[in-house]
Amino acid sequence: MIIAGIDIGNASTETALARVTDSTPEFLASGIVPTTGIKGTRQNIHGVFASLKQALEKAGLSVEDVDLIRLNEAAPVIGDVAMETITETIITESTMIGHNPSTPGGLGTGVGTTINIRELNKASKGDAVIVIIPREIDFDTSSAMINKAVAAGVHVNGAIVQRDDGVLINNRLEHKIPIVDEVGLIDKVPLGMRAAVEVAEPGRVVEQLSNPYGIATVFDLNSDETKQVVPISRALIGNRSAVVIKTPAGDVKERKIPAGKIFIQGEHKKTEINVDDGAEKIMEAIRSVAPIDDVTGEPGTNAGGMLEKVRQVMSNLTNQPPANIKIQDLLAVDTFVPQKVQGGVAEEFSMENAVGIAAMVKADKLQMTMIAEELQKELGVKVEVGGVEADMAIRGALTTPGSNKPMAILDMGAGSTDAAIINRAGDIHSIHLAGAGNMVTMLIQSELGFEDAAIPEDIKRYPLAHVESMYHIRHEDGSVQFFSEPVDPRTFARVVILKPEGMVPIPGNHKMERIVQVRQDAKQKVFVVNAIRSLERVSPTGNARDIEFVTMVGGSSLDFEIPQMITDALSRYSIVAGRANIRGCEGPRNAVATGLVLAYCEGE
Amino acid sequence: MNASFDAPKPEINVFYAKNSVPKDIVTEVTLGIEEEGIPFVVLEKENKNARELAYKAAEASHIGVGIGISDEVVLHYIKLKGDTPLFAISSQSNEENLRAIGSNAGRLMKRMPFRDVE
Repeated sequence: MIIAGIDIGNASTETALARVTDSTPEFLASGIVPTTGIKGTRQNIHGVFASLKQALEKAGLSVEDVDLIRLNEAAPVIGDVAMETITETIITESTMIGHNPSTPGGLGTGVGTTINIRELNKASKGDAVIVIIPREIDFDTSSAMINKAVAAGVHVNGAIVQRDDGVLINNRLEHKIPIVDEVGLIDKVPLGMRAAVEVAEPGRVVEQLSNPYGIATVFDLNSDETKQVVPISRALIGNRSAVVIKTPAGDVKERKIPAGKIFIQGEHKKTEINVDDGAEKIMEAIRSVAPIDDVTGEPGTNAGGMLEKVRQVMSNLTNQPPANIKIQDLLAVDTFVPQKVQGGVAEEFSMENAVGIAAMVKADKLQMTMIAEELQKELGVKVEVGGVEADMAIRGALTTPGSNKPMAILDMGAGSTDAAIINRAGDIHSIHLAGAGNMVTMLIQSELGFEDAAIPEDIKRYPLAHVESMYHIRHEDGSVQFFSEPVDPRTFARVVILKPEGMVPIPGNHKMERIVQVRQDAKQKVFVVNAIRSLERVSPTGNARDIEFVTMVGGSSLDFEIPQMITDALSRYSIVAGRANIRGCEGPRNAVATGLVLAYCEGE
Repeated sequence: MNASFDAPKPEINVFYAKNSVPKDIVTEVTLGIEEEGIPFVVLEKENKNARELAYKAAEASHIGVGIGISDEVVLHYIKLKGDTPLFAISSQSNEENLRAIGSNAGRLMKRMPFRDVE
């Protein structure tokens, strides 16, 4: 008879097609397509159908030839991710501009009172001024006006320009001054206030205005006032050009947002923890009360909102009232998010601390039966739901050449990290933890400040390169590759993602080294942490060291660097860990689908 | 190694067609180059084909970067094939695009990402 084992995962729907004679399976073909809809919902059926069809086509069979379809009893877990910033920077009465226009003009530091260039003729001899040049005044006119004022004895000590023509203005001045250009919201620059403009040499950064005492010197501040300008200096560190304007009520504050408490209800104990305390403390609290029954947040706070949002999403997906949704694991990760500075003039960003959270929820088990019933109706083939997902995965994983019982598997997917262990006698114990591929994408997205998840998803999946000329790129590892045709001009001098279908330029000015760092840190924070966490939980002794063999399955184990990171991290626990190779030919894919067929043959 | 003092300057060449290009188009393009801080030379030519002018300008440039201006404004690079310039826009384009193409000539030299040109 012909049996199809079909595994509906968070990201992909996989099929193993086999002919079974006398309880011995002969595998014919496999199928893999992206899962349609959220795992465990009616929308999955299209994906199941497509995956099955793909396998059937490869084997030269049709739906009529199939005698039995076995679906996984999908591990009833769904994951979601959320993020909350816990600090923010606010400037009242905008007092600073710190940014990196690609070509500022002039050099040095200039101090004076801000004045609109149209009013420059009203300045008296001996006045020290900083001119504000809006978009309507072009470089020819503005430079002529400045030259005329300087000739009349006005000390024009710097300029703040809306357009990108700082260099052009500077080249036409008889007396050179520092010029900061590309200041978008120039109307917000207060007039008649004392201001300092600093432009550093190419390759250097501002030194006077990034130093609190430097600002104190320029504005003649007392010690209390100097304390207040520290956030300004901090925000200007690393910029090539900067402006600081002193307004009477001007102030920059770094504010800690009260993020609220999380209440963790364990099976036997309960505890509470402040989100502001950071990820490490939250994870400690989780560990101390595991296994967990539910997690809730303090109502009316960010923590409460974050957890309730997750609960609401889960409730919509599973058609259950929110009160029935129990969050059974959390993975908290410290991260930082570039946030627009409130009150900034040149759209400055400040890196704010944040906590990212992945939650895992036990969902409704009945959905799979419903899917099976519908599928049976549509295909006219017997469909059954067979076996716990982890049991199936471990059966499939044991087909890896060189593997044997006792063994643990790590199934790292998109929504959750699952682990299972099989002992010599064949008993299987499994757990599900929050946090997997989607969380890595979220961390990359937030730390690099991308608006949507498409580019971060690609950054997670593929290596990077820097396009160094029209004909060559330099890879992450420093090696150089030449092409016989010129590259797409849109990728020139940019960091690109090396997708199989071509190079995709990454928007923004991120350096390649930084993107690589963010990507690898995110993978470490989620996958390595979860690998160890899950092995501790399935280990019969509670210690990860007591497990000898681990195989990795699931989509994330196909990643170009995650398996090496885990092999490396687990080797410190004396654990042999590696990527599975299902049936010696499928790699880490198809474990559950294969297990579904094998379980049938074993009469389960 | 001793650099020769009479070696040609690293300049971008801008060739424009005689009697068929308004002066301010050339000016806008060169302002873009100036903003990037790269030296340039502007020369008047008999040829009326912007693409040919651009390639000739690139060939004559010590750094291989040339701009041709006639009915089109074309940015060319010596390492590209003659019939496939890097950027080509109508000379009727707005000031922003004209400056951007000049700016991109400088950025090609400086290996910085190009500005958008449409």
